[in-house]
Amino acid sequence: MRRLLIAFLVIISQSSCLKQSISDAMIASQNSGTQGGNSPGVATMTYAVNGNTVTITVNDPDSQIPTAYQLGCSKTVYPGTSSTVYSLDCLSTSGEMTNTFFTDSLAVGNYTYTGIYGDMFVLSYNGTDEYIHDPADSISFNITSYSKGHISGNFSGRLTPMIMAGNPNNTYGSPGSVLITQGSFKDVPVFY
Amino acid sequence: MLKGILTSILFFIVINSEAQLGVMKMVGNNTKNYSFGIGAYIKGVFPVSQAGDLTLELGANIFFLNDGGSGDGTALVPIKAGYRYSLNGTGMGFYVEPQIGYNIYGVTSANVDGTTENFTFHGLVLAAGTGYLFLIGNTPLDLNLHYETIIDHGGSDNYISLGLSFYLHFGKRDSEQ
Repeated sequence: MRRLLIAFLVIISQSSCLKQSISDAMIASQNSGTQGGNSPGVATMTYAVNGNTVTITVNDPDSQIPTAYQLGCSKTVYPGTSSTVYSLDCLSTSGEMTNTFFTDSLAVGNYTYTGIYGDMFVLSYNGTDEYIHDPADSISFNITSYSKGHISGNFSGRLTPMIMAGNPNNTYGSPGSVLITQGSFKDVPVFY
Repeated sequence: MLKGILTSILFFIVINSEAQLGVMKMVGNNTKNYSFGIGAYIKGVFPVSQAGDLTLELGANIFFLNDGGSGDGTALVPIKAGYRYSLNGTGMGFYVEPQIGYNIYGVTSANVDGTTENFTFHGLVLAAGTGYLFLIGNTPLDLNLHYETIIDHGGSDNYISLGLSFYLHFGKRDSEQ
């Protein structure tokens, strides 16, 4: 009886180690079907940093690794908290860009983060990290379409460059001196 | 098939049964937005020895999402067969109870592309429980703790439950007759 019970407990503990809940597994299955059957073929993001245009194009974006993609959006736990957020990330030759959607239910709409909430990294451009730092800084994303696991929209922002990382305080440049304009993204896959 | 199962359950209930209300909590990946759930079951009990009972249980569990959304969640209707073994061999006191079964109906809501969608599923049910059978006056009670997992579509939903059962009719064991 004891051996039988131990074997049963082992089976239960092993089955409980499945990484996904049933709903997540079904969503992933659904998305793989829709993305596989109606893959947009290409995902794009473009924006201008003080007038200098950055463009990222990824072919077959759905085939990217959900944990290591060039352009995508993923659901994750915000570092240092237990809150679930969505992170839109892209990697270009000029650097990386990331935007956090502070929601556990991503939907069409506007997401704005301002400096009054605290410092937040947004992008690096040619070796300089640009932050939301000054209270007047902000980044505003509009998701205009969310369909079959892909989002599209536009964004703009006002950022402050970080001149030197320091401990305990970073050194920042002229507040609001970095303008993000003409930002848009299209058919970016959302990974669960 | 379902009719046969329900008929069997009704038969078991007539013979010897207990009912329970309990509180539950989803555990595991992506469950932090779930508040406490509630559950109830009826259980047919067949004494097969002084220490052991075969059990057949039909439950209904509801877990509420507390994510600031439309207030959906997960509902389950599992049916399970198990073996309840009392550790002191008397049929009372502490016991352990492994169970295996099938989720007759399950539905869970999730945010997909910004809208709430409901997903229905079934799946294999595995459970392990422990509890304490005791009497208050002439009323038999069962305070128990269960861990349960439902496996379907390559994922699993897991929860723990704490419940108090009361017997609708308490069958006599051989030694008591």
